[in-house]
Formats: sequence, structure tokens, C-alpha cells
Amino acid sequence: MNEANGSPRHCFIHFEQSMCSGCGLCVKRCPTRAIRVRNGKATIKNSLCIGCGECIRICESGAITASTSELNSLNSDKITIALVSPVLYSQFPGVLPRDVLQGLKNMGFTHAVDMSYYFEMFQWATAEYISRNRKTGESPWPLISPVCPVVLRLIVCRFPSLLPHVHPIMRPVALMARDVMTQFKVHYGVDDQDIVLYYINPCPSKMGIPKKELETAGTSADLHSTGALGINDIYGELSRQIKHFEKNDKIPFAQAGFEFEQCTSGGGLLWSMTGGEAEATGLDKILAVAGLNETITYLEKIELGLFNDLEYIEFRTCREGCIGGALNAIDKYLAKSAALKMAKTLGVGTRLNRERVLRLYDNNWFFPKTTPQALKTMGIQKERTFSFDELRMIEKIVGIIDGKNCGACGSPDCRTFAEDLIREEAAPDDCVYLKIRGITMDDILMRVKPEQDKD
Amino acid sequence: MPVIHKSYHVTKNDFIHAGEASIHVKNLLKSLNYDSDLVRRVAICGYEAEMNLVMHGGDGELSVDVSQSKVVIEVTDKGPGIADVELAMQEGYSTAKDEYREMGFGAGMGLPNIKKNSDEMTISSEPGSGTHVTMVFFCKG
Repeated sequence: MNEANGSPRHCFIHFEQSMCSGCGLCVKRCPTRAIRVRNGKATIKNSLCIGCGECIRICESGAITASTSELNSLNSDKITIALVSPVLYSQFPGVLPRDVLQGLKNMGFTHAVDMSYYFEMFQWATAEYISRNRKTGESPWPLISPVCPVVLRLIVCRFPSLLPHVHPIMRPVALMARDVMTQFKVHYGVDDQDIVLYYINPCPSKMGIPKKELETAGTSADLHSTGALGINDIYGELSRQIKHFEKNDKIPFAQAGFEFEQCTSGGGLLWSMTGGEAEATGLDKILAVAGLNETITYLEKIELGLFNDLEYIEFRTCREGCIGGALNAIDKYLAKSAALKMAKTLGVGTRLNRERVLRLYDNNWFFPKTTPQALKTMGIQKERTFSFDELRMIEKIVGIIDGKNCGACGSPDCRTFAEDLIREEAAPDDCVYLKIRGITMDDILMRVKPEQDKD
Repeated sequence: MPVIHKSYHVTKNDFIHAGEASIHVKNLLKSLNYDSDLVRRVAICGYEAEMNLVMHGGDGELSVDVSQSKVVIEVTDKGPGIADVELAMQEGYSTAKDEYREMGFGAGMGLPNIKKNSDEMTISSEPGSGTHVTMVFFCKG
């Protein structure tokens, strides 16, 4: 793992240097311009990585993987609990969700908890928040869904002025982790450290997130003891388990001991696809946007003051939603077909008692300790900004290069290369346009130095 | 005082690319680490002005001068001009065509919004000879 800028921040992505061909595909693809090719190998500035997984998808040599947790507590004496994103069910066409959960238990998890219960909690609370704030006129509109963590980090990194738009209800996974931890601690009469939670999901950006970031990202502190597993990490073993008990007599699903241990509804499966959250919330003025480029375009437009007649926008940076996450095991369109069929089989409806949700809402159960604005100060960084003179120099350097954004220098485009020159992270020789003309850094500085020399 | 100057052409009826100039300006200010409230105000005003060019002004120019103390946006067009500027500055007053209104634009909030979000605004217009809008945003501190 590279620490290009010496940042201590954990990275979502791991680059295996020995496998990297230095082709630069990932450099061009990265939405926050965090990757460079240096000395023939890709390196990443961890502080700029938002964990979108685009580099994993585009890498042809398999050198890029997500940093996931080790699944090493299954055979220990700890109580190991799988927190299951409904995307998992879509990976097993034709298999009932409860059988998938049973497969996890057969793998050694003490409990497998489905997430759709918390989706319902979240959507009730969201509808309530919006109807209350619509009346008072509070909140900037539209609210931005906090569900996709990549979107949150994208906002911190590139659109910090939109932080007040982030919907302040805790994300479903945070509600789940907190609730499961609390209830099982009481049930077993044990402490935090005796319980290990593993979040099984398709998203590289949920892997081992620093605790502080979680607290502020509308997530609970209890998640610090949560590991994260990519669906593709457990797919092989889980398939074997499911096949095994499907062949033999089916094991009857154990009676659910807790309300939240009930299995998914069709609604949970819809959540794994783009539009599912929007649909479930039941709001009128709501939009669902999926895809990284589409998300960026919309965020740009919200910054221009557009869409303030809408109440809520669901963003997912993956095409088709979480079902298209980088760490899934099967193709997203196959998964989508399977999820739609299963949603039809299970039926869509709400199971929760609204009165109870309202009581929790009034007790601030849904609200994180800190606001999303606090994200600004920790973990994810904005790109380094430039002084007025530096920016003028960068503009001029781009003119001197007069290149074609070829990327041969290892930076994504000529402008970023010019920025890297100013940051002293690149040399003029890296650029073929400068090299063939024999232009050195001294030449450049001579030509671009601001008129009034300050040194 | 050093100034970064940028100028953009805005094309009549081009709703697809409307807003791109404002996005450029916004990102320029962001890379200079301007206060996010200032960036937001510039973005909103720039976009309203761009939409005015797209809907009313015919082709026009949006130019921006960025210096350390202030951001100045000038918008010039050779369109039909505004007969009664005072009336046009009122919220809800609009001469937008129905087809624009059906697209959700032309609510008569453009100029008032610019007025509200800029620190200084001047508008001059003569029927037949186009419109010129200048907006100034002062940087804090």
C-alpha cells in the first residue's frame, strides 16, 4: 500500500505493485484524481480516496483490490454476527433469502441479521423528518441521501458546500450495527469485545472505515468493532454451504428469536437497486440517480441552486445501485433479474409499527451525535488548494505544455500534471511534450513567475 | 492587482450546455479555496445569468474576473433588451415563453435571485440593443 502523501489515513484500496503494469487506466478513471503512475507503478494518495472502486473495475491486470477485513473470528469463542446487505440474496438466483442466512450460520456465524428491518426504520424516519421540516421550511433542499458512503466522501472532497444538504438521519447500516450490538449484549450478558460484527456487502468503501469518520458519517460509534467482508470474499464458501443443505434435507429455519432476525421483505431487495430507496420512502418530490458520472453532474447542478423544488435525492455511485457494487460475485444484470423475481415472490410491504418508530424518532434514536458537516475536519481531505499566484502559474504551464491530455506523464491530464509540478510531485521530464522540446523546470519558472517577484 | 480572466460563450436555446460556464467558474473558485458561501453565491448567480442568455438574450458572453478581493461577473448579450428593467427585477415577473415554463424555467426569479445573492448588481438595457449585467462578490477578510 502506498502513502504517496504520507497521510496516516487508512485506504480502501490496495495496489499490488508486482502485478501493476503501469498502464494508467486507473489514473484516468479516478474521480478525485488520487492516482498517479510513478516509476512505472500506480500509487494512490490515500487522503483523496473515496472508495468508489472504479479503479478495481477498470484494472486489467488484477493489481487493485479492496482492503477487506480478515474473517478470523469464526472459530474463536466470540459471538460472531453477520450483518447482511440484501444485495447478498441477489447473488444466489432462486435461493430463498432465509436459506442464504442459514448458509451463513452453517459457515460458522452465530447469527445472521438481515438489514431490511433497518431500511424500514430509516424510511419511516426519513418521511417523518421531511414532513416536519417541510412545514417549518427548515433544511436546505433537496436533501441528499446518506446511504451511499461514496457519495458522502465525494461531497466532502469535491462539494463541501453541499454538506448541509446531507440528510441527518443515521444510515441503515449504522442503525443496524448499534441496535444489534445493544440487543445481543443484553441477551448474552457480555461486553462489547465478546461480540464481533461483520458487515457483508458489495462496496469497497465500507471496509474498515476509521471510527471517527463513522461517527460523523451518521454512523454509530459501535461500528468500530465491525469488520467488513466483500460479498466476493465469502461467495465460494457460502455457495458450497447452500448447495450442501439444499441437496440434503432442508434445515428448517430456526424460529426468529429477535424481531430484527426476521428475514427480508421484497422491499429490502428493492433497496439494493437504484430507485429502491426512493420508492420505499414514498415521497412525492424525489429523484433516484445512479452512476458515478451522473452523481457528479447532479451534485454540480445542486451547487448551482437547481433542484431546490425537490425533497430528496437518492444517489448511488454504482450503476444499477448497490447490486452493481465492485465486490459482487455475479454480474449486475443477472443479480438484478434475480432480485426482482425474489421481490415479487416475497411481496413488498411494511412490517414496522409506525407508532413505535415515531417514539424512537422523538427520543432522537435516529440522529447521530455529530452532523455531517464535521466530516470536513477529519479523514477525507479536500484536494490541496492553490494560492492565486500558483493558479496563474498552473494556467500558464498548461499553455506551455500545449498537450493532448495523453496521461503518459502518469498524471490524469495536463492540468493535473501542471498542478503536480507546482506541488513538486512531478518533473518536467515526465511529460513527453516538455521533454522533446528540452524544457526544464527553470525554463518554466522563468516563463510563468508572477510579475511582481515576492522572493 | 493580479486578476484571472475567463470568458465563455453562451448559446441561445442550448439547454443542454447551459450551466457549464458557471460550473467552470465554480470549480476555479474552489481550487483557489474561496469561502464556500461565496462560491455558492457566484454559482447561483452565474447559472441564473446563463439561463437568461439561453432563454432571452440570444447568444451572449459571460466573463469573470477573479482577484483576491472580489469576483466580478459580466454578462452581455445582443438580444431584444428589457423594456422595463424595474418590472423585470420584481419576483415572479416573467416574459419567458410557455415552452420554457413547461420545462420548469422562466419562473421570474432569475434577476431577483441575482440581486439577492450578489453584493453589487448593475443592469443596463435598452430595447433593441441588448442587456448588460454586472455582478460583484466581495471576498471576506
